[in-house]
Amino acid sequence: MSTMTLAPAREDRAAARPQGRLGQSAGWKTMAKAFGAFALAMIYIPLIWLAVMSFAASPLSGIPYPLTLDNYRQLGGDARWVTPMQTSLWLSALVAFVCMVIATVVGRAITRLERPGGVILLTLLPLFVPGLTMGAALFIFLRSILELKLGIWSIFLGQLVWALPFCMLLVLVIASRFDLRLLEAAEDLGASPWRRFWDIEMPILRPGIFGAGIFGFLLSFNELPRSLFLRGIETTMPIYNWAMAASQQSQIPIIFSLTTLLVAVTLPVMGVFFWFLFVKLDKN
Amino acid sequence: MLTDPITRPSSAPARDAGTKPAQPILEVIDATHAYDGVVALDNVTVRAAPGEFLTILGESGSGKTTLLRLISGLEKPYRIGALRLGGVDVSEVPAFQRDCTTVFQNYALFPHLTVGENVEYGLKMRGVPVAERRTRARNALELVQLADKYDRRIHQLSGGQRQRVALARALVPQPAILLLDEPLGALDEKLRVDMQVELLEIQKRLGMTFIYITHSQEEALTMSDRIILMRKGKIDQEGPPTAIFDRPVSAFAARFMGVENCFEGELIELSGGQAQVQVGERRLRGRWSGRSIPKVGAKVAVGVRAERLHLGPVAPTAPDHNVLPCGAGGAIYKGKYLDRTVTTDIAPIKVRIWNASAVTDQPSRVWWHKDDCIVMDL
Repeated sequence: MSTMTLAPAREDRAAARPQGRLGQSAGWKTMAKAFGAFALAMIYIPLIWLAVMSFAASPLSGIPYPLTLDNYRQLGGDARWVTPMQTSLWLSALVAFVCMVIATVVGRAITRLERPGGVILLTLLPLFVPGLTMGAALFIFLRSILELKLGIWSIFLGQLVWALPFCMLLVLVIASRFDLRLLEAAEDLGASPWRRFWDIEMPILRPGIFGAGIFGFLLSFNELPRSLFLRGIETTMPIYNWAMAASQQSQIPIIFSLTTLLVAVTLPVMGVFFWFLFVKLDKN
Repeated sequence: MLTDPITRPSSAPARDAGTKPAQPILEVIDATHAYDGVVALDNVTVRAAPGEFLTILGESGSGKTTLLRLISGLEKPYRIGALRLGGVDVSEVPAFQRDCTTVFQNYALFPHLTVGENVEYGLKMRGVPVAERRTRARNALELVQLADKYDRRIHQLSGGQRQRVALARALVPQPAILLLDEPLGALDEKLRVDMQVELLEIQKRLGMTFIYITHSQEEALTMSDRIILMRKGKIDQEGPPTAIFDRPVSAFAARFMGVENCFEGELIELSGGQAQVQVGERRLRGRWSGRSIPKVGAKVAVGVRAERLHLGPVAPTAPDHNVLPCGAGGAIYKGKYLDRTVTTDIAPIKVRIWNASAVTDQPSRVWWHKDDCIVMDL
């Protein structure tokens, strides 16, 4: 009797499973794996292809052979990309630093507000303004209305507006979990306001602050649409690459080797940095 | 011979020196504070003698934590007459320059520092050289029996160990007074009892002034030299544990100190500390322990502890007993004793019976000696 009532119940359950628990069926797992593999492939194959092609005699032909170092030699002999690179490096470093400072100061202030919701929304909203829109808006405001002469400073401003919300987000995530009672404990033990920040709050917020710095740098270093509007007569690395790729076909091989070098340096540095920030510091 | 890991602060002489009462190490005069229009502290005055273990007892919301935060400086009072630490007015001195430290209820240990760095922090802020502060931190950790945990991280410790680190961290700068905000509240029963004893030993050994906050009357009775009982931002009663336990001044103090049976009545006669009170149809006699002498006819409270009550078929006839006829009610078995409720024409009364075999099934009388009957302010 009991087995008879059990058997159909089991069948019912088996029948209900594909609908009730979609996420756990074998088909979905395979599909998730396939999509994941596809996404990774789409990210890395072009990069690797770019790296391989930077060693090809004629990169645009699509055939890697014969391999050669000519492109790199040409890059070494060409000085035109050096100034935009220098500009981009120090400009991005500056954007990163200013982002870190502003995001830290404002982020900790926001978490101390009684109702931070509205302020957070206002701060993060620029994330959703399209780059060209923001660039054009800033251009019209600065150039046409205020009649200022555009240059590095306006690129800096545009990139700061772009990067800051991301940086705020990173700091806010950490700062919102910070226990303000720790500062009271430090105060109680004799720490001045500066010591309280430096000894207690800063080290705990550090992953957020450094993260803000990294993202500030990367976002600035890669920024194109706003810079195009706000550049005046200045040229950053993305502008240079874009101009070269768009207009002068003869320069393409140099772009291949240059971007390969950039990726080869950036990825390991960022990898180590993230490992240090989130694995090493966490363990301590 | 084991020497004291932490030398006795010069500001705290031995309590049994037998000299005339020293100048108070702490004086809070007429402190008033409010949060968002709600009065948390209403004109409270507190003094503590050097080396005293002073407990501030009260329910949550009674203002005890506010009082502690005013002393430490983490809260600035709305109005205060004076706040003196060691005779010096510190009401305008910021918290980080006051010579007192706190053991917080949640410990507030720095999660990114080691146990040792946590304990050293107060010394570091006072500019003590590295070598000395390391030695002193190790000694303090030894005092709380955590000598081998110096290099541990906070998250590797148990709740009880964290509590000890918090204590060591607050002790090591040798403050004039140590403030403890329900430090044992988060510990389980057994550990709490052990830590009570340990805290008391440390306090006696260092001769340091402890201001201790708790909502547990049992903790207050066990540890304190003196208890301040707070209610709604005011001091309801203050005195040594025995005084508060035996002579609560009000029904609130009585209930807080575990007097199970409290009735409301009207004072009929009061002479020589002996009071007669009309409660319902009954007349009860007891000793007066209220704040001031009230007029005849005033509303007063009558209290009696459950363990002072007797049950039986026949009551003693001597005139120094209060006797009430009663009927059987429920009973709750508590292991060591039995709590039995009997019904009377005044109110249900709780009776504690230690010898469970002596329970009569149908008691008809409940009685108690008039010296065990407290008459006090409502």
